[in-house]
Amino acid sequence: MQMERFRYDNAIVRNFIVASILWGTVGFLVGLWVALELIFPQLNFELPFLTFGRLRALHTNAVIFAFVGNAMFGGIYYSLQRLLKARMASDLLSAIHFWGWQLIIVAAAITLPMGITSSKEYAELEWPIDIAIALVWVAFGVNMISTIIKRRERHLYVAIWFYIATFVTVAVLHIFNSLELPVSLFKSYSVYAGVQDALVQWWYGHNAVAFFLTTPILGLMYYFLPKAANRPVYSYRLSIIHFWALIFLYIWAGPHHLLYSALPDWAQSLGTVFSVMLIAPSWGGMINGLLTLRGAWDKVRESVVLKFFVVSVTAYGMSTFEGPMLSLKNINAIAHFTDWIPAHVHIGTLGWNGFLIFGMIYWLMPKIYRTSLFSDKMANAHFWIGTLGILFWALPMYVAGFTQSLMWKDFNPDGTLAYGNFLETVTQLIPMYALRALGGTLYIVGMVLLIINVVRTVRSGELLREEEAEAPALERAYAGHKGEHWHRWIERKPLQMTFWSLVVILIGGIIEIVPTILIKSNIPTIASVKPYTALELEGRDIYIREGCNACHSQMVRPFRSEVVRYDPVHQQYSMAGEYVYDHPHLWGSKRTGPDLHREGGKYPHSWHYNHMWDPTSMSPGSLMPRYTWLYSANGRDASLNTSLTEKKLKAMVQLGVPYTEEYIANWEEELNMQAKSIADELNKDPNIKVQPREEIVALIAYLQRLGTDIKKEPALALNQP
Amino acid sequence: MNHRNNPRFFAAWTAVMSSASGLMAQTPTVPATATAEEGRWLVDFFKDPIQIGFVVGIGMVLLALYSINRALNALRETLAPETIKAPKAAPSWYSSLMKGATKATPIEREADVMLDHDYDGIKELDNSLPPWWVWGFYFTIAFSVVYLIRYHILGEPSSKKEFEIAMADAKASVEEYRKKVGDAVDETTVVLLTEAGRIASGKKIYESNCVACHAADGGGLVGPNLTDPNWIHGGGIVNVFKTIKYGVPEKGMISWKDQLSPTQMQDVASYVLTFQGTAPAAPKAPEGEVWVDAAAAEPTTDAPATDSTSTPADSLSTAAL
Repeated sequence: MQMERFRYDNAIVRNFIVASILWGTVGFLVGLWVALELIFPQLNFELPFLTFGRLRALHTNAVIFAFVGNAMFGGIYYSLQRLLKARMASDLLSAIHFWGWQLIIVAAAITLPMGITSSKEYAELEWPIDIAIALVWVAFGVNMISTIIKRRERHLYVAIWFYIATFVTVAVLHIFNSLELPVSLFKSYSVYAGVQDALVQWWYGHNAVAFFLTTPILGLMYYFLPKAANRPVYSYRLSIIHFWALIFLYIWAGPHHLLYSALPDWAQSLGTVFSVMLIAPSWGGMINGLLTLRGAWDKVRESVVLKFFVVSVTAYGMSTFEGPMLSLKNINAIAHFTDWIPAHVHIGTLGWNGFLIFGMIYWLMPKIYRTSLFSDKMANAHFWIGTLGILFWALPMYVAGFTQSLMWKDFNPDGTLAYGNFLETVTQLIPMYALRALGGTLYIVGMVLLIINVVRTVRSGELLREEEAEAPALERAYAGHKGEHWHRWIERKPLQMTFWSLVVILIGGIIEIVPTILIKSNIPTIASVKPYTALELEGRDIYIREGCNACHSQMVRPFRSEVVRYDPVHQQYSMAGEYVYDHPHLWGSKRTGPDLHREGGKYPHSWHYNHMWDPTSMSPGSLMPRYTWLYSANGRDASLNTSLTEKKLKAMVQLGVPYTEEYIANWEEELNMQAKSIADELNKDPNIKVQPREEIVALIAYLQRLGTDIKKEPALALNQP
Repeated sequence: MNHRNNPRFFAAWTAVMSSASGLMAQTPTVPATATAEEGRWLVDFFKDPIQIGFVVGIGMVLLALYSINRALNALRETLAPETIKAPKAAPSWYSSLMKGATKATPIEREADVMLDHDYDGIKELDNSLPPWWVWGFYFTIAFSVVYLIRYHILGEPSSKKEFEIAMADAKASVEEYRKKVGDAVDETTVVLLTEAGRIASGKKIYESNCVACHAADGGGLVGPNLTDPNWIHGGGIVNVFKTIKYGVPEKGMISWKDQLSPTQMQDVASYVLTFQGTAPAAPKAPEGEVWVDAAAAEPTTDAPATDSTSTPADSLSTAAL
């Protein structure tokens, strides 16, 4: 057989790994900063770009797409070339992929603190960046599939199945969730409204976890774990069944983020049962990983890389068991909106993603630098400090979640809430928040050790940019062996593999989303619900800009404890029909502050005015930061920018919001009138001096509108549907 | 104790033996009740944290016993190996269970299941799917089918129905409680309190709920000054009580009747009236009319039960629970 000589590209691997370490450190530090802001709200220094609502998105985007993303690409470029016995198809595409991705990250790091956001979780970036992501993602996909096509290995290894599924699914998710109508270069509105937007968002959001933080990482596990342990993969059959089951079932599970919400019950139930069915396929990955270490446990004691992998895979098993449990309605009723969810997520990210990446870096960097790791001891210290960090992060948050949820739901026997003041349930958690910040600090200390170790390792060696390799070319004709496993057929047909992965992941999404969008009866309309006024719409955009939805939900669930707390007068939970003009929805996923969906009319304008200026003036001990930049004060000009208002209204009309032509023609007059009436009301207070066109006025207009439409319909409020 | 006669124990067993999808029906917002209704056994069982703790506790005790046993065996192995009997020829129940549950090919015979795959040096074994895993998978599928049938065909309560049940239960239990305790102070029976204990309780309530709008010394912030004789919605215990109870939503005074009990509202209303005539640090200008109590001549402890004041706020109460 003719041997062909070729070279692996190690430089691209190195680049992605270095980028992952750098951005990871930034993402971790931002995470620590926002954690500290929940203890010391004054840490925003009254600067908009340092405020929790904006930085939280920066943290999540940085750790998901920059830390895990870059590491995953590095790991894929390393393993893919070797598993296929081929160099990456195009160095140009590799470079476009690498530099394009870094530019996107830089763009995110600039725009998110500026408040340029679509508000949709893990998809906050505005439309021009969304397009850039799609293009770079396609460059990655084309590069990968071209490499697969010119491979010298007949069959595709399980890791590559996962890479392919990752590529097709993320492309589909990203494109459909990011469909938005641009208003300007930095502002767009989701084409979906309310319930539909929430469903599409969590179909995306959940599968960002599934197909960005799980399937590619499983692929990496299938390469790096057997390599590091030098053991055969435990079960090929298990790989097949858990791969197909996982990608088929995962896509359905999104609605478990919306249990007890205004989403139709049938969709909620699908979210629950598909999450429960996910336990076995997820655990298939875990046991295939852990059992591969059979006969190698003595090595685990010695190898720090394997230690990281074992904890990582165990964390994967824990969080993929916990996830389905959280999808059960009774557990979700306790956990949702509390700190339990961040705890769950961080077991996955710090444990499963982080530790797998650290193990991979410790294994891979010495290899491509032709040297050995600078210090095993230091890596071991990283392992223990990091593990401790995860525990300190997650355990207090479990306690916090439980504590807060029980306080929210606690009633006195006379029917009053035991903790009627929401703030009481927040200040209770501050010690837990402090412990969490300690956990995060430990994790970062571990990261610092990694940086030192990697820098010293790199200095002691030299990068082997082009690694020589040889393998025989594939013969054109190939007939399968007799008696081979049936699945071998598709493993040698990469395009069929890609196609069938696509089909399998489309089924769940189509069955859940299409009917919710097309069938009117899923979203019963409410006659009294009207579009926002121009001023309220601008106020809503300020709410989005400041990331208020990072801490405040807008979804009163059908629980006694919630209707009594949030809508004491009408005791009405949130209904699908209330959100029909909400492009995008702002339901939120975490209640660090109280729900706001029934906020309108609860307090006078002046309460909001004082509260946004200094929350502790109205709620002593509040953890909410000050929003002084919404006020024209101390020489600052906070005039409401209405240059886009007309365009915004017209965009809304295009999306189906029924503004009349007359309204659009007179929007400015209407806006001025409403702003003036609010300002006049405020100026009655001798301590307040406000101009109608200040941003705070628009925000107050929006807050005072929330949930008021439904109150105009007494019949509806009294007749529970 | 005879377990068979213990309803909780029986409920627990019924729960474990029956379909696990009943787990879903729980509404944690409903206060625990002692009786296990037909069909809601599991709900009631898991509603009680003591019972959950009991199950978890047993699990932990078993785990602890197992670990102690392992530790003792290990100790015996090192200290007195001669007392350990030679292993029996027949495999222990544990190893046969493990074998049956995992169907793993032992490492020594790994070559038998080694496939001819080789990816950059990675080989693959063809071990069977672990039966425990396969059965677990089947179980979750069966669970899902049962779940969908229960909720969407057999009519297990939906989220909204659960809510209605919870609200009705709550209403009944609150009414029962109020009957029992006699905590039925309302605007027709409320009287001004003067005893130090009740005023202190009112002060505490005021400080955690009212200072945001009315200031700690009653001087007023967003809300009106409470120290002057002017009242927007009427002074005196009855009107103050009513304003607290039903609120004046259009002016930003929220209704407190779901956050404070009637007695608590009476306490805080009485405390508010102690501000009268005091000199706050930064008084807000007077708002509303100077209020004159028609029954001012009478002793304050004997408040006018039949005080005829407007009752528009009552219409709100019907909208509520």
